[in-house]
Amino acid sequence: MSKDILVIGGGIGGIQSSLDLAEMGYKVHLVEQLPSIGGKMAQLDKTFPTNDCAI
Amino acid sequence: MLDVGRHPNIELRAFTEVDKVEGESGDFKVTLRKKARYVDEAKCTGCGACVEKCPTLVPDAFNEGLGNRKAIYSWFAQGIPSTHTIDPGYCRVFNGKKCGVCQKTCQAEAIDFEQKDQLLELDIGAIVVATGYDVFDPSRIPEYRYNELDNVVTAIEFERLLSASGPTSGHLDRPSDRAVIAEIEDLKKQVKKGSRLLANQEKKYEEKSPDFYAKYKAGEYPEDKERQKWAGQYAEQLRLQERLDALEKKAAGFKTAKKLAFIQCVGSRDHRFYPFCSGYCCMHSIKEAIIAHEHDPETQTTIYGMDIRAVGKGFEEYKVRGGNSSNISYQRARIAEINQDKEHNPVLVYEDTRARKIRREKFDLVVLATACAPNRGNKELAEKLGIDLSRYGFFQTSRVNPIDATRPGIFVCGCAHSPIDIPESVAQASSAAARAVQSLRTLEREEKQKEVGKAS
Repeated sequence: MSKDILVIGGGIGGIQSSLDLAEMGYKVHLVEQLPSIGGKMAQLDKTFPTNDCAI
Repeated sequence: MLDVGRHPNIELRAFTEVDKVEGESGDFKVTLRKKARYVDEAKCTGCGACVEKCPTLVPDAFNEGLGNRKAIYSWFAQGIPSTHTIDPGYCRVFNGKKCGVCQKTCQAEAIDFEQKDQLLELDIGAIVVATGYDVFDPSRIPEYRYNELDNVVTAIEFERLLSASGPTSGHLDRPSDRAVIAEIEDLKKQVKKGSRLLANQEKKYEEKSPDFYAKYKAGEYPEDKERQKWAGQYAEQLRLQERLDALEKKAAGFKTAKKLAFIQCVGSRDHRFYPFCSGYCCMHSIKEAIIAHEHDPETQTTIYGMDIRAVGKGFEEYKVRGGNSSNISYQRARIAEINQDKEHNPVLVYEDTRARKIRREKFDLVVLATACAPNRGNKELAEKLGIDLSRYGFFQTSRVNPIDATRPGIFVCGCAHSPIDIPESVAQASSAAARAVQSLRTLEREEKQKEVGKAS
């Protein structure tokens, strides 16, 4: 069996999953169809309810 | 994002899609298709010199088409990886024209017009699906006339207009005004070109164009083909200048949008489209109104909705704060129609349900809080992964284990699962990571037990 994990989608969900898995010591392949990761959240200026910067 | 790019355990595969998935939990054989960027990832430093020189303008998808980028581009300035990509749909080289400026400019010699898609095979133990959502296409709602009216935008377009790194550097310039300003720029170029042509003619005949044109009009040169051409050029120049003057006069009166309306539940809680509540739109409308007010304290906002669903830690307080200190008023209504006056101001027609009156109100800009729609690619991906979709088109998960897809070893999180906001997506993403590890550990244990069984 393989211990590698495939994460499909490089938005905020995929990024968080990948980081958690990588921190747990697993090899992660993060696949994103667009040229850069970030997804919808990267398009947002700020986020509620704290008005923190999204990027 | 930077952490992902740097982490030794993460293999970042951007501009790549899943081609085929075979096998089962613990032993998936996954084929990925790495799409051709026509730029060598190993060589590109992301310096952007190619972008400066590229002559082809393309609508910028990251800015929802509100600005332009070049045919060679990085998805956005802070994007990871920063590797640039050539868009073969627009690049002159791929459309049979002479160019290759980027190739000449690139000092790293990273441009490779011959690059092809590559297939990669991986052995995978578990899969996390985090494909997100699509913004609902509001042109499906005829009464909002999204395609016809310039100053009716979606919430994500409004985000880009508000963003300091966006196409308007954060100023709320109305799309109709921006179209006029773009036309002015275009006309200026044409006028400049025209005056060059006229200067050549004036030099040739040693006469000023207006003087010549007066004589020409009086019928002095009936047979002269060359002078007829000159007259044509001058007439065209006059027409362009007149249009330019008129537009510049109009543009002098342009102001940024100060009176905003948000329409809630565009596509959601609507039985024609999605009956479910998208959950986060009430909050992002309030947030956008607060940010707009921060940018310009004269901004007045009305949020039209059936109700405001501020469900979450600190959300209700945020809503009240918006009302108290950011000039936001909340109006219970379902907008019946959007019209437009001569100045391109959208006019909302609605029933004020508390006063029981039909009202019409004029705004500078209308923002549609569009629904969270399932990703267009979900069906194809579900078929490849061999998992089911829910009746709305999101990925189906188990009732008992809400992160598990309908096949062992595959887990779903974020808006691929259902409409949820960012903090919940993050929490769910961590859950999915934990479930994926759990599934691998269970398989490992079972394998060990089998071996022990065999040995005894």
